[in-house]
Order: sequence, then structure tokens, then C-alpha cells
Amino acid sequence: MTTSAQDIVDLLARVSRKDVAAFDALYDTTSSKLYGIIFRILRRRDIADEVLQEVYVKIWERAADFDPGRASPITWMATIARNRALDEVRRRVPASIEDAPEALNVPSSDTQPLHALELSQDVARLNACLDKLDPQRKQLVVDAYLHGATREELSQRLGAPVATIKTWLHRSLAQLKACLTP
Amino acid sequence: MTDNTDPNDIDLLAAEYVLGTLDRIERANVAFRRARDPELDAAIQAWAARLAPLNDQIEPIAPSPLLKAKIAERIRAFETPAISPASVVDLQSRLARWRSAALGATALAACLAGFIVVREGFRPPVSATSYVAVLQKDAQSPAFLMTVDIDARTFTVRPVAAQRQVGKSYELWLINTRLGSPKSLGVVADQGYSVSAKLASYASGDIADATYAVTLEAEGGSPDGNPTGPVVYAGKLVQAKP
Repeated sequence: MTTSAQDIVDLLARVSRKDVAAFDALYDTTSSKLYGIIFRILRRRDIADEVLQEVYVKIWERAADFDPGRASPITWMATIARNRALDEVRRRVPASIEDAPEALNVPSSDTQPLHALELSQDVARLNACLDKLDPQRKQLVVDAYLHGATREELSQRLGAPVATIKTWLHRSLAQLKACLTP
Repeated sequence: MTDNTDPNDIDLLAAEYVLGTLDRIERANVAFRRARDPELDAAIQAWAARLAPLNDQIEPIAPSPLLKAKIAERIRAFETPAISPASVVDLQSRLARWRSAALGATALAACLAGFIVVREGFRPPVSATSYVAVLQKDAQSPAFLMTVDIDARTFTVRPVAAQRQVGKSYELWLINTRLGSPKSLGVVADQGYSVSAKLASYASGDIADATYAVTLEAEGGSPDGNPTGPVVYAGKLVQAKP
């Protein structure tokens, strides 16, 4: 079975009408992806479990807010998951990746046919623009996004002052935007 | 953080918000400003779309099979808030007490039953709808402690370590993007508990997932109902009891 972005749009439309079967299918299709996003940031199963539950309750409540003209359905759901995970990780005492090194090599259990939900040309375009950055800056941006590290944490990890990290981030982001803007 | 309107600054702030590199207070400030600044909101959405392809790099991880049932349970509870299991149990125990009290069937027993009912009315409800939030600048420095009873739509807030500022007041706000601009929950008393029913007009879902933020305002609170000072403390609710 393959799932297309349009299938997810249709499921979300049904969920907005409180269709429990559609919500069930939506969970089966997307939960591994969202859990991956949340776990990368929180690095603890117990907290990630709690956040995943809250995220799906929110998706249930807010499915009517989803506008297919403004975002892809998986981007919309991933944004809810990322924001909730980032708020949660900031609420806690800062954890460093050294506290849970196993977080970096979690087993893949990809049972969901979700690879193609982001439009492949968008992925190719962003990758091309990331490749134009200095390799270290590219790594900085990608790590920040995937792990939800603050400037302070990036500064400790790279041994560079916070102000330098901020400058690097701002320059890299401006460069990315210029590259991505048609 | 100032309310800088330089479009370049707004765009970089939005970019870092989406990238995830802002600290706790900066994130709360952005969430706060976003609700009343369409330009910032649009910039955030544009950055979310730009960076979303990075999610492709994330390996999916199957969540525990137990979670699906827990979510289904939460949704059922959410759809029928008026008869949540906790309040049903609470009402049943009260009913049992009224019945046993009524068995006395004398004037004295009736008086006593009346007394029990009144006392029951003052008992703080122990239910799954009690929440607390620690409003703080960072993990090491809690400034205010807030408790919320979502069923009753009431809250208390008290300073823990916030420094009193001469000629200024701390004002509490509820921020939820679904509700538009931040909603004032009133000025926090300098000492002891402030108890308030100002949550009465909000939906339980909006109360539960809101961010609660404290700004420093002119003495007596913001003059026009909108925050004028920056967020100095912020937090989200967590359930206080299992």
C-alpha cells in the first residue's frame, strides 16, 4: 500500500468531521514519522510518548484548521509535533546528546509508506541549496533542525562563542532563503 | 527582546523559531508576538515550508502500540468533557453520602445532611483536571507557580521568587494562537495567592494547551488590555495528578 499526500489531505478532511475511522488510518500512516521527529528532539521514550499523545489529540481538535492551499499535510502535522517537542525540551533542564548517545542510532522500524509525502522536487531543491553552504554551516543548520539544539548547546558542541553561532546561523539562513526564492 | 519591526529581523527571528535554536523565553516571546503580528506569523509559515524537506532525513520510529489506545481514550474524554470519568465518580460518592445522610430521616439528620452537602460544596474537586504550571525564565529559576482547575475554569497564581519591581506590576496572560491576541488574566498580587475566575469564558482545550506568560507592566496592569512589556516568565500546564 502506498499513501499519497492527497490521501492524507482526504483523511484530515474526514478527521475534521470527527470521523474516528479516518483518524485511526491517519495515525497508522503518520505516527512513526511524527514519533521519529519528536524522539530526535526529546531523546527519551517516556517524554516522547506523552508528547505524541498530545500531538494527536491536537491534530484531532484542529484538523479543520488545516488548509491544503497553504502547506502540505505532513508539513502541517510535523510542525505541530516539532513545536510541541521544542516547547517540552525547553521546559526541561537542558539535556545534551552525550546524555543519551543511543538516540543517534535508534533502530529504524520503517513500516509506513511515507517516503514520498514531501514533494521530491522540494527535497532536491533544499538539498541543492544546503550543498552551497560551507559544509560545517550546513551541518550546523541540519543538526539544529533535527535535534532542536539551542545556540548555547551548539556553541558548547562546536566550541565556538554563542555570538559566532548566531552569526553563522543568520548568514546560513539568509543564504538558504536567497537560494530557495525563485 | 524589543518589538523590533525591521523586516529582516522579523524574518531571521521566524527562521530561528522554526529551526528550533531559540531558548525558552525567546520561543515564548515569538509565540506571544505571532498572535498579534500577521507579518511574523506569515514569515514563520514560510520558513516551516522551506525547511520541512529536512524531515525527510528523519528515520521513522514506530511508537509503542499502547499509545494508540491512550490517544483514543483522550479523544473520547475530550469529546464528552461534561461526563468525564473523574466527575462521575465524584458525583456518585456525593450521592452515596446524601443517601446515607437521608437515612436518618429525623430533623437533626436532615440538618446534618444539609451541613454535609454544604461542606461537600467547599471541598476542592480532586480530578484529572487539576494542572500546574511553573512560570520561569529558565529551568533553574521558577518565578511564579500557577494551578488551574480546568473543569471549574479557575486558577491561582503566586510568586515564588519573582522580584517585586517598584512602580510596576506583573500581569499574567493566556496565549493560544486559536484565540488571537494574548488574553489578560489580570495582575498578579505581590504576595500570597491570587485566585481568579478569569478563565471562565475559555474552552477547556484552549486552556490546557495555552502558554501562560508574565509581562512587566505599569503599576495596576496594562492600560489597554494588550501587553506592552516583554515576556519575563512563561510556562505551560502539566497535569498535577495521575
